[in-house]
Amino acid sequence: MSDRALVLKGVSKSFADHVAVRDLSLEVPRGSVFGLLGPNGAGKTTTLRMVLNILGVDGGAIEILGRPADQAVRDRVGYMPEERGLYMRMVLEEQLVFMAAIKGIGRKEATRRLGPWLERLGLADWRKRKTGELSKGMQQKAQFIATVLHEPDLIIMDEPMSGLDPVGMDVMRDVMVDLSRRGATIVLSSHQMDTVERLCDRVALIDKGEKVLDGTMSEVKAAHGKNTVVVAFDGDGSFLGSLPGVAKVSDFGQYVEIKMSDGADPQTLLGEVAARLRIRRFEIVEPSLHDIFVETVTGHGKEAA
Amino acid sequence: MLSKLRAVVRREYLERVRSKAFIIGTILGPILMGALMVVPVLVTGSGGKLLQVAVLDESGVLQSQVEEALRAARRDGEPRFDVQPSGEGTVEARIAALRKAVVDGGLDGFLLLPEDAVGASAASYYGRTVSNQMDLSLIREKVREVVVSHRLAEAGLDPGQVNDLTRGLQWRTIRLSEEGEREDKGVGIIFAIILLMILYATILMWGQIVMAGVIEEKSSRVIEVLAAGAPPTQLLAGKLLGVGAAGLTQFLVWSLSLLVISLVAAGPMPGNIPMPEISPLILFSFVAFFLLGFALYASLYAAIGAAVNTIQEAQQFVFPVIIPLVLGLVCFPVILESPDGGLAVVLSLIPLLTPLLMFLRIMVLTPPWWQIALSLVFLGASIWGVLWVSARIYRVGILMYGKKPTFPELMRWVRHA
Repeated sequence: MSDRALVLKGVSKSFADHVAVRDLSLEVPRGSVFGLLGPNGAGKTTTLRMVLNILGVDGGAIEILGRPADQAVRDRVGYMPEERGLYMRMVLEEQLVFMAAIKGIGRKEATRRLGPWLERLGLADWRKRKTGELSKGMQQKAQFIATVLHEPDLIIMDEPMSGLDPVGMDVMRDVMVDLSRRGATIVLSSHQMDTVERLCDRVALIDKGEKVLDGTMSEVKAAHGKNTVVVAFDGDGSFLGSLPGVAKVSDFGQYVEIKMSDGADPQTLLGEVAARLRIRRFEIVEPSLHDIFVETVTGHGKEAA
Repeated sequence: MLSKLRAVVRREYLERVRSKAFIIGTILGPILMGALMVVPVLVTGSGGKLLQVAVLDESGVLQSQVEEALRAARRDGEPRFDVQPSGEGTVEARIAALRKAVVDGGLDGFLLLPEDAVGASAASYYGRTVSNQMDLSLIREKVREVVVSHRLAEAGLDPGQVNDLTRGLQWRTIRLSEEGEREDKGVGIIFAIILLMILYATILMWGQIVMAGVIEEKSSRVIEVLAAGAPPTQLLAGKLLGVGAAGLTQFLVWSLSLLVISLVAAGPMPGNIPMPEISPLILFSFVAFFLLGFALYASLYAAIGAAVNTIQEAQQFVFPVIIPLVLGLVCFPVILESPDGGLAVVLSLIPLLTPLLMFLRIMVLTPPWWQIALSLVFLGASIWGVLWVSARIYRVGILMYGKKPTFPELMRWVRHA
């Protein structure tokens, strides 16, 4: 058995007028929660669709659970598209049993498994109702059940958190953590960096169809250095930007975030600031995934331009 | 693998069969058909009560004979008229009294024979209801008979002899086929046209249902989930089989009802209801040509549904698909005029027209078996070809959003899929 749940080797896909994915290679270890990040139009959805064989690849190869991606192995994959894909006129229970049947699970078995899921996601009362009567958030949860009811080893979710309220997000996160503990591999794409930051142990960032960043969360953060300093102080801090070693200052009102230039020592900065202002807080922090995302994508955009 | 196909077929079938439109259409269809055949006969038949009529004769020579003729008049073996006295007094006073009686409901109507009724051969009827054509024509016929006998007598001829010499022709039309002979009472053609219309409407309707289903799956993005589970060809096959099975269910219900209606009507019925020929061959063809027509047209509709984003966008593509069906429908007089003529044979061999026109030919005569076989071969090949092209358009189309494709783009999908 391979220890990789999903491997992409030099996968490419072009549409009539543009290249959607270019020579993309990814490795997703089994049991990991993998975040696929990227700005709009980066090729995330196209990549996921190729994994699901909804789209064919132009070049390269995809391996799922250690096997070349054929129909049989795809039955062990669960897929949740970005937009809700449910029959609005169908009764919820029938709908979910049908979705499981499409993945090769018998009706009886699917019905048996359904109860606990509906219970857990708070949809038990809606079992016999038409899907169209559910709220958007409830439909999202229903879609999630449709994704996992056949107990897939690899779960692929395109923007799983969109449209959920904070409570719903927490429930979904708990469920995902649970599934991951039980050995399922989760690949999710998202714009919501804080979600990804809390959930994922590995991330890849793609932009304009190319991979620009890939690794475990700590690797990615380490690569971006511990070069960000948060300072809270009393007094006029307008001189901060002109200090040596300071690359960029972001003023958040209550505190400023200072990005140091490469090789600059925060210790020196502390001395300079302490000499002129009354410091309430001085902290060297990891860059947030948000900053890494913005920085990488802007940098990549400039390179490409 | 097959379990997925079965799941799709099951879903499609249940969704259609449970819809209100299906239930109403399936149940109402036979009721309507039965009503169309039986009700007019029953309503105009012997069920009604006797009409209360009076005869006012100004000529002075017809009164008793007309009254006698009306009393003796029979329809379906039952008397129709109860003749009342027309009162006393001047003509004007009697007319006024009769008018009042009719309006008040004491009389259903009265017959006014003018002074020169015999010479001018004229009469009028005043009634509360004048839409009961069968009764009115019976009255007219009786008055005419009396008036004509008078005119014949005046001309010195024997009315009985003349009537005997000029009586109408006894005319029957009998259709011959391998199954023997059957008398046609003129309803055969009407029945054929009704079945043709039903076939046309249902092939169109079920095709559109397939198209709407594909568009719904596309716009609700269900198709992404489905395509991640089963190959598109299975999804398409499942949809066609499921919806087709629902259509078949409807047709079986209709055909069985037709069979029952024809059996019931063949038994003892009040009056003499003209029944069309409902042979097993016709019922079988009815169902078979629906299935074949559905396979052909629904495949086209599925491809259209996959290529577009909304029902509105689909209209432009639907139009060329409907044209052959409409053409098939408007061709029916040509076929009826000469069901075995060269034009009829050629038209019924064109696959897009076969489901309608070959069926029509089978209804009005039994075409040579080689023509039926040839049309089925052509039709089968066309269904296979259309399915092949549609499956390719479907594969690409279901995941294409945004701009509606042009025809050259569709061709490219077919080549590259």
